[in-house]
Amino acid sequence: MSEARPRRAASQWAVAWRRFKRNKSGLIGGAIVVFFILVALVGPYLVPYPARSYQSLYEGDAGDPPSFKHPFGVEVSGIDVFSEVVDSTKNDLYVGLAATLITTLIGVAIGALAGYFKGAVSDILLGVTQMFFVIPVLLLILLFARVFSVLVFKGLGLTLIVLILSFFGWSSIAFIVRGETLRLKEMEFVQAARSLGARPFRLLFRHIVPNILSPVIVIATLNIAGFILTEVVVSFLGFGDPNTSTWGLLLNEGFPYVRTTWWVALFPGLAVVFSVLGFNLMGDGLSDALNPRLRE
Amino acid sequence: MASLVRYIIRRLLFMIPVFLGVAILTFFAGNAAGNPINLIRVGLRNPSPAVLRALEAYYHLDQPVWLRFLYWLGDVLHGNLGVSISGRPVLSQIGPWTFTTLELQVLSLILAVVIGIPVGVFSAKHQYSKTDYAITSVAIFGYSMPTFWLGIMLIIVFSFYLGWLPSNGAVSVSYPWWGSWALDPIAHLILPTAVLTYVSLATIVRLVRANMLEVLRQDYILAARASGLSERTVTYRYALRNAISPVVTIIGLGFGAALSGAPALETTFSWPGLGYAFTQAATNLDIPLVQGITVVITVMVLVANLITDLVYAVLDPRVTVQ
Repeated sequence: MSEARPRRAASQWAVAWRRFKRNKSGLIGGAIVVFFILVALVGPYLVPYPARSYQSLYEGDAGDPPSFKHPFGVEVSGIDVFSEVVDSTKNDLYVGLAATLITTLIGVAIGALAGYFKGAVSDILLGVTQMFFVIPVLLLILLFARVFSVLVFKGLGLTLIVLILSFFGWSSIAFIVRGETLRLKEMEFVQAARSLGARPFRLLFRHIVPNILSPVIVIATLNIAGFILTEVVVSFLGFGDPNTSTWGLLLNEGFPYVRTTWWVALFPGLAVVFSVLGFNLMGDGLSDALNPRLRE
Repeated sequence: MASLVRYIIRRLLFMIPVFLGVAILTFFAGNAAGNPINLIRVGLRNPSPAVLRALEAYYHLDQPVWLRFLYWLGDVLHGNLGVSISGRPVLSQIGPWTFTTLELQVLSLILAVVIGIPVGVFSAKHQYSKTDYAITSVAIFGYSMPTFWLGIMLIIVFSFYLGWLPSNGAVSVSYPWWGSWALDPIAHLILPTAVLTYVSLATIVRLVRANMLEVLRQDYILAARASGLSERTVTYRYALRNAISPVVTIIGLGFGAALSGAPALETTFSWPGLGYAFTQAATNLDIPLVQGITVVITVMVLVANLITDLVYAVLDPRVTVQ
C-alpha cells in the first residue's frame, strides 16, 4: 500500500490568478486590453472603409462631424475617423507588444549578466543601463525616428519605430533584473545548484531568471503602455511612418484643423487613453497579485 | 561631510560618460542625416565652388567620421554649438528658448510637488475611502494620457469653445489678453502649465500614496502614536520623512521625462521654447540646431539629476556611504 500523496499546493501562477481575479481595477484593465486585442484582430474586417482611404471625399462627406454614417466624423481630407481608429489599433498594439518583447529579452539578458558576474564587463553593463535610464530618451527617439525613417531605412515602416523604441527602452527591465539577480544569487537554492556543479549560464537562466519573472511581467505590462504613448508622440510630431494608420498619425493630421474638426483629435486620443489605461491597470493588478509580500 | 563630498564627486564623475554617450548618439544620428552641404544648398542659389570648398572644410568632410566627432565634441565643450542652416549661431538662438522652457517646466514642477505631496498623504491616510478612489482614479488617468492630447482637448474647450484663454504662444502679438500687457503672459501660461502640472502630479501622488501606505504600517509609527504624539506630527514628521526620499528620485527623473516630452507639449501650444524649436528643427532637418538642443536639454537633465542626488543624500545620509 502506498501512502496517499499529499495534495499538491497550488502553483505560484494559480495563486496569482486567484488574487488577480479579486482585484477589481486589475480585471477592468484586463477586460479593456482584451477588448482592444479583439478590435485589432477582427475590427479591420468590419469597418466600412479600408485603412488610409479617402473614399468619403468622393461621397461628399469630407470634414463632416460625427453622424450615424460616420460615428467619429470625417477628416478634412476625407478619411473616416472611426474606420481609421479601428484600423490603427492593430498597428499601435504591434508597436507596444513588439517593443516590449524585444526590450524584455535585452533587459533580462543584460540585467542578469550585470547582476551575476563581477568585474569590468558587469560594471560597463551597469553603467550603460544607468546611462539609458537618465538621458532624455524621448528626445533621442524623436531624432532617430526623424533621421532614420526619412533618410535611411524607408521600407521598414513601423518596425523601424519598434527598433528605435527598443534600442532606448530596455533599461528599466535591466535594472530590476540586475537587482533581483544580485539578491537571488546568494540564496541557498542557487548555492545548492552551484555546489552540484551547475554552470553559470544554467544557474542564471534555469534557476535565477525563472524566479524573477514576476517583477519582469509587471514592468513589461507597464512598458507596453509606455511604448504606445511614445509611438503616439513620435507620430503626432510627424516623425512616424506616414503610410501606416496609427492613432498618432490621425492626431497629427487632425491637429492643424482642430478648431473646426475637433473630432479628429478627440477620438483617436480616447483610444490611446483607454488602451494605455487598460495596460496600466492590468500592470498594477498583476503587481499586487504577483507580490509575495502582500500574499495572505 | 567628507562622505557627502565624495558622493557628489562620484555622481559628477558618472555624468561624464553619460554626457559622452548622448553626444555619440546625437552626433551619430546627425551624421546619418547625410551630407550637411546638400541641406544647406537648398537655401543657396548657385553656390560657387569656393563656397562649397569652404563649407567642406568647415564641416571637416575630408576627415573620417570619428575625427569629425572629436572636432564636433571639442566645439561643444568650448560652448560652440555650430551654425544652424538658417545661418545663425545655434547657441544664441537657444538662449531665449531655454528660458521659456524652464519657466514652464519649473513652474509646473513646483506646483506638482506642492499639491502632490499633501494630496498623496491624504489619499494614503484615508485608504479605500471615496476620496481616495477619486484621487487614485484621477491620477491613473493622468499617467495614461499623452500630455499633448490633454493640451489639445483643453485648447478646444477653453480657447475655441469658451474663448477664455489663448491657445498658442507665450505672449500676444497685437491685443493683450484680459486687457493688460502685464496679465497677458499669465493668460498664456495657464493652459500649458495646467497640463504639465496634472501629468507630473499624477506620478507624484501615486508614489507618495504608495510609500506612505508602506511606512504607516511600520512599528515605529505605532510606537510614535502610542507615545501620545499628535496625528499630525506622526504623519508629517515621522512617516512622511521616510516616505519622501524615493519620491525625490522620481521628481528628478520626472523632470527629465518632462523635458524630454517638451517637443510634443510645446508644439501643441506653439510655446516658444526648446521643445517647439526641436520639433521644427527636426522637421527641417536642421541638424546642428537639433544637436544643440539635444545637448542643452541633456545638460539640464543631468543637472536636475545631480540636484536630486544631493537632496536625496541630505534626506537619507545612508546613500553617501558605499
